[in-house]
Parts: sequence; C-alpha cells; structure tokens
Amino acid sequence: MKISRKDFIKNFALGAGGIVLVSEGVFASVFAGSNSTIKAIIVDYTKCTGCRTCEAVCSASNHKIEIEGNQLFGNGNPSMSNIKVWRYHPPVDVPITCFLCNDAPCVEACPVKPDAINGRKALYRDEVLNTIKCDRDRCIGCQSCSDACKKERGGVIFPDEEGSPTSMCTLCNGDPQCVKWCPYGALSFLEVTSDMPLREMSPDEIAKVLEQTYYGN
Amino acid sequence: MKGVNGIVLEINLSTGEIKKLPVSEKIYRQFLGGRALGMRLLKDYLIEPGIDPASPENPLMFMPGLFCGFPIPNSSRTCMVTKSPITSPKNSTYPYASTVSYSNMGGFIGPEIKFAGYDGIIFIGKSEIPVYLFIENETIELRDASKFWGMGTNSFETAIIEEIGDRRFETAYIGTGAENGVLFSSVINTGARAAGRGGTGYVMGTKKLKAIVVRGTCMPEIFDHKNYVDLLSQIRLSFGAESESKKDWRYGGTANALQFSSDRGSQAVKNYSEGSFADIEKINVHAARVQVWKRDMACYSCQLSCKKSGFAKGAYGGIVNEGIEYETGTMLGANLLVTDLNGLHKMIEIADDYGIDIITLGNVIGFLMECYDKKLIDSTFLNGIDLKWGDVGASIELIHLIGKNTGIGKEASKGVKHLASVIGKGSSDFAIHVKGHELAAWNVQGYAKSFGISYTTANRGACHMTGGEIAGQNLSVLRDSMGMCNFASSWYKNDLHYRHFIFALTGIALTEDEFQHTGERMFNIERMMNCNEGFTREDDMLPERFFKDAYTSGPQKDVVLDRNEFSKIMDEYYLSRGWKVSSGIPEESTLQKLELEFLL
Repeated sequence: MKISRKDFIKNFALGAGGIVLVSEGVFASVFAGSNSTIKAIIVDYTKCTGCRTCEAVCSASNHKIEIEGNQLFGNGNPSMSNIKVWRYHPPVDVPITCFLCNDAPCVEACPVKPDAINGRKALYRDEVLNTIKCDRDRCIGCQSCSDACKKERGGVIFPDEEGSPTSMCTLCNGDPQCVKWCPYGALSFLEVTSDMPLREMSPDEIAKVLEQTYYGN
Repeated sequence: MKGVNGIVLEINLSTGEIKKLPVSEKIYRQFLGGRALGMRLLKDYLIEPGIDPASPENPLMFMPGLFCGFPIPNSSRTCMVTKSPITSPKNSTYPYASTVSYSNMGGFIGPEIKFAGYDGIIFIGKSEIPVYLFIENETIELRDASKFWGMGTNSFETAIIEEIGDRRFETAYIGTGAENGVLFSSVINTGARAAGRGGTGYVMGTKKLKAIVVRGTCMPEIFDHKNYVDLLSQIRLSFGAESESKKDWRYGGTANALQFSSDRGSQAVKNYSEGSFADIEKINVHAARVQVWKRDMACYSCQLSCKKSGFAKGAYGGIVNEGIEYETGTMLGANLLVTDLNGLHKMIEIADDYGIDIITLGNVIGFLMECYDKKLIDSTFLNGIDLKWGDVGASIELIHLIGKNTGIGKEASKGVKHLASVIGKGSSDFAIHVKGHELAAWNVQGYAKSFGISYTTANRGACHMTGGEIAGQNLSVLRDSMGMCNFASSWYKNDLHYRHFIFALTGIALTEDEFQHTGERMFNIERMMNCNEGFTREDDMLPERFFKDAYTSGPQKDVVLDRNEFSKIMDEYYLSRGWKVSSGIPEESTLQKLELEFLL
C-alpha cells in the first residue's frame, strides 16, 4: 500500500500528467478494484482555491448553538474547524482533514486499555461511520495519538489544552457539510481506496508535490 | 453591541505603549467599520490640518470591514487608512496639505484581526528600529524586525512564517520599496494581495513597521443568530447556482476586461493618449489562461476566485505569484505598448516584490516613455536607459531604480506630478493625475460622466473604484466599510441586500434610504477633511490631455472632452451632493444633516 502511494506521488510530481491523475476517470478505475468500506472526505487539490469556506462550515456544523431550543449552525469560527487549509508560498493550498486511515496509527498509539465490554480504547474507531472518536472521560491526555498522527501521517489531530485530541473529522453524521458547501467542488465524500493520490500524507509533503505541479518548469 | 469586537488597538511605535480603545455604539451606527470607521478615527488623530504624512503624528490603520471574519461570501476586505503622502492641492496655506488616503485589500489578514478580537489596529509614532507587531489574541508584542528589513515581499512571506513556526498566522507587510521611501508603496498580504493605492505602504515604512503577524481564535456574538444562519445559506445557494458572471470571474478575474475595454475604447493606452490597443490579443485573458496561468485562488470565504498564479516561460520566465489583472495588465501592458505576456508578468512580479503600486508605476513609466519619445528628456536623464515604447527590458531596469529609490528612481518614486515639475517643457499636460494621485487603467474620452467624475471627485485623488454616480459612490464607500468585495455586488440584492446582513450581525436596522444616508455620511467626512486641508473645486480637475488630445483610432476616435461641458457636469454633481458649486465645499446644512457638524 505504501509503495503504491509513493508511486502516485512520484507520478503526480512528474509534470503535466499530475493534474490528470486526480480526474474522475482515475478515481473510477481505482474504485473498481477496491473492496474498502471506509468513506472519507476526498480532496481534489487542483480544484481548491484556498477560500476556507470548508473551515467555516465545518466549525458551524460541529459547534452548533442552541437558540430557543433549536440547534443552529454556529458562527463559523474557523479555528474550531476539523478541516484546515494549509497555505504555502508560492501559492499552494492544502486542505487537510482526518484521512480515517485504514490502520489508524492514532488509535494504535492510544495506551488506554480497551474497555471490557465494547473493546474501545479512549481513542477508538466508531462502528457507524468509521470516524475516529475520543472518549474524553477515559482520555489521559498523553498526546500519544496526536504525536503518532504527526509522525506517521498528516498531523491532522491536535492536542487541546488538556492534551486530548481534537480536529477528528465527524463526517457530520454522514452528511459532510464541507463537501456540500465547497464552492469549487474540491471536496467529495467517497469510499477510500488504497491507492488514491496524496492521501495520508502531511501538508508539507502534499504542498511539495503541488508546487512542482503548478510552478515546476 | 453584538456583531463587533467593540475595540480597536492603538500601538504607539515611539513608546511601545499598547492601548485597547473602546468604540462607541453610536460610532458603529454612523460608520459601521472598515474604511469609514477608520476615517472617523483618523479625524480625531489629525488634530489640525497640514500634518506631515511622514511624521509620527500621522496614524496608519488596518481596518477590517464590518463583515470581515464572518464567512459571508466575499467579505474579507480590509482598508488601510491614513493621511496621504502622495496628494497635494493647487493652493493651500499648509505645506503638508494632503487628502485622506484609503486602500483596500482582500486576502486573509482582515478576518484574522477580527478573530484576534479587534476591529482595527492603529499605529502612531515611529519606531527607532525595524519592528513587526505580533498578535495572538490577547498577546500583543512589538518584535525586532531588523533581520527582515531589506527583504522583498516574496522572501519575507516565507521567512516570517518560518520565524513564527506556525502556518496559521496571517501576515501583512511592506517590501523594500516602502523601506527605501517610494511614495507609492503598497501594503501586501498573502501572495501579492495589495492595498496598492494611496501610499499607505510608504507611511508604514516611515514608521519602520515591517509587518503585522496575527492569529486569533475568537469571534463576536451575533445579534440575530437564526436570521444570520438563514441568510448565509441563501446567499451561498445564490452563489452556488450556475451563472455566466460567476463563470467569467473564475475564468479570468478582472483580466476579462482587457479585451472588452480595448474594444470599446476605454483603456489606458500609450500613456492615455489612446483608448484601444491593437495588440491586446497578445496580452488578453485567453493568452494568459493558455500560456501562463495554472491556478485560481480565492480570498477568505470568496466564491469567485479571481486571482491567478502560474508559470511563465522564456527569457522572462519564472513563478508567477500574481497573474495579470485588468489594472496591472493595462498599466504595465497596453499603457506602455508592451506585448510580451511573459515580460508583462515578470514586471508585475518585480513590482510586487518591491511592494509598489502598479497603477502608479505604469503611469510613471508611460509618462517617462512619452517624454523620451518626444525628446523632452534623453537617456542620460534616465541613467542610460533607452526607454522606448513597449520595451520590457528597459522598463524592468527602470522599475529596479524606482524600487531602490536611486538615480532617476529618486524622482520617479514620487509620481508623475513631481516628474512633470522636474522635466517641465509642457509635460504636465500629459502627467495623468488628479490631486497628485495617478489615474487607473480606465481611460476618460467618451466616459467623462462615469470615469471622469470618479477620478475628479474621489477622496484619495484619482480613483477608478469610486464611480461617477452619487448613489454608486455612496455604495462604494459602504462596501469598503462592510469589507465587501466589489466584484460580488450583483449577488447582494433584494432579500439578500447588505442591509439584512448588517441587521442580523449587529441589530442596526437600516431602510434603503438610511443605508444611502450612511454612505453619504461616509463620503462627506472624507470630503470635508480634504476641504479642511485646503482642497477645493479647482483640485477636482482632470489632466489637460483630456481637453486637448483625441485618440487616433478605436470607437472613441476624435472625441475630445469639452471644458465647458465637463464644468457643467461638475456643477450638477456639486449641486446634487449639497456642496457649494463655487468651491466644492460641503454646505453647512449638508454636514448637519449627516451629523458631521464637528468638521465645521
């Protein structure tokens, strides 16, 4: 799986073909060979303009405000978003949200003993949508999960002041709002396959590939 | 009051003192935010007319619009507000008399200032050493920027993020042009988004302030949250619908206008002596799209992605951080008869790296090209540069001299009004400025009622964004005060009018009339501050060229603006504004009606 991902990076980096690789045609052929059942936010980096609407929408959807008994979208403070658009110079924008990695190194790293009944550690993969969740009552704030994410993957999840992980994608209970409201169609909610390009990589790594694609000779 | 932070920061660069100044509800109701709020605050700092714009007494303000930070589509805009270092009246008792100055930029810095908890940042005084301002919510520090002094905008943008070690910080900064004292220097944020006009970057340079670096995690509470959420969904759906307008903005941004403007004879060509450019197809949007551009980029919460980047090939090849726009493409392209698209992009790159205003730069080069062509100056005057029409290499040499403020650049860095006074020989006839501020890329013949009025009556000196009609002028300053992008205006109509967003956020309820009245107040505070410096009707005058020289080709061929006719148009304008026709100064009754008596 890792070899395949690196091959993709290489191909992507090698010039004009790079942009074509993330076209729908490639996705379609990739899906055909997959039997994975994890659905996640998939980014077409070539369509992202860096407007950060996804951040505002994610924040609003995941931090609702109660008004007269109704749960309404929050004010859209982007610092509370689970998706983050990382910006580089020369201009490259890299939206990153939890990849819902198949092998979930963050869950692997959680040192809290699995619960006797449901088998969950403090950080666990939810059965319904395969999202990564934290049981804050059991989390010891050791930051092993965020360290593992940073070291082994994109560095998506961050510790809060108590050390517990934040920024795990919730998929908005199956109707991801970032996908719905992205003005540029850069985000999709799709079944993950092992060989999708630029997945489970850090923003710095993705930015290097994109920089080469846009601004390489 | 909800929907605002209610506080502006005041940073004294001479003493290092930092204050949080509360802003009253009354002031928000009268001036909303952004440009107009900045002007109201500026009034209190400029305690007397004629303050030297380069002195510690002149404040420099970063003013995010009222909507800035809320994810309302296309509401990211921030105004720089200060007293202009560029403009001057024909007659005044004050040696440093100048207009107000404002300059508007999109990008990401304005929203971040709001997230940090402030509705504006005001710098007063002057630092001894280069500094930058660091803000993370409540943490506010002036830090040594000595090692960054001398860095171009591209290197700096990368270096400052490395120093901070966190990409989530937003920055705005000056280039070396401002450090070196180029009057028409810009303030730049995030990949060459420029508050280009009016010399605000120069003022920042005089204060030895290299940059502001900001991160915030807060947001103001909203007055009517349900209303806000509903409006936001509706406006996003409205933008989401397919439309030709949206498609055009995304395809070419303002560069779409390069062809259109040339076709109808409204383009600045050959130092404004022509309105159409025969070679426009070589540098139009389609050429750029095919040959250079690779990416579309958006500002915070923007739906139109008008900004482009890419890669140019050939002798002038390299990374293009900022694709041509209508203004940059015209001023360094058509206005100089430049047809090399890669060379044109290179000139823009270099100017952005110095952080200088490309509109004025295109005027300065075009003016000198014309002087050289007419043999009013020789190559010795130009430090050996053979400044022929259309010559990219010669133009680049000149840009470097201007950016470094050396050789002929010492004079050229002060703009065309100054150059004409140095060169003389009748050159002031084709020095294209109003009040010392150069015109933009929209030419005047045949468009006197729109662009002619916009240039003569704009409060920062010639400005193409002001508009020729009074209602439009009022809306323009309202937009700058809300932080709204002009390009998205057509979506904010009827049930989705700006007024409804103002109410949802702040509880300020305005009828259409009251909304216009507010814009009128905003426009008049600037006008009256200018009048108090000594500006009068005689300063609202177009360059001589437009009353003498007809174009030799294109749809506006042979049209020459008639002096009497234009004077009549101006008479009507002053009357409609409630200003004295003889002097152009607002009537006392007009100021009273607008609650601006304090300016009398």
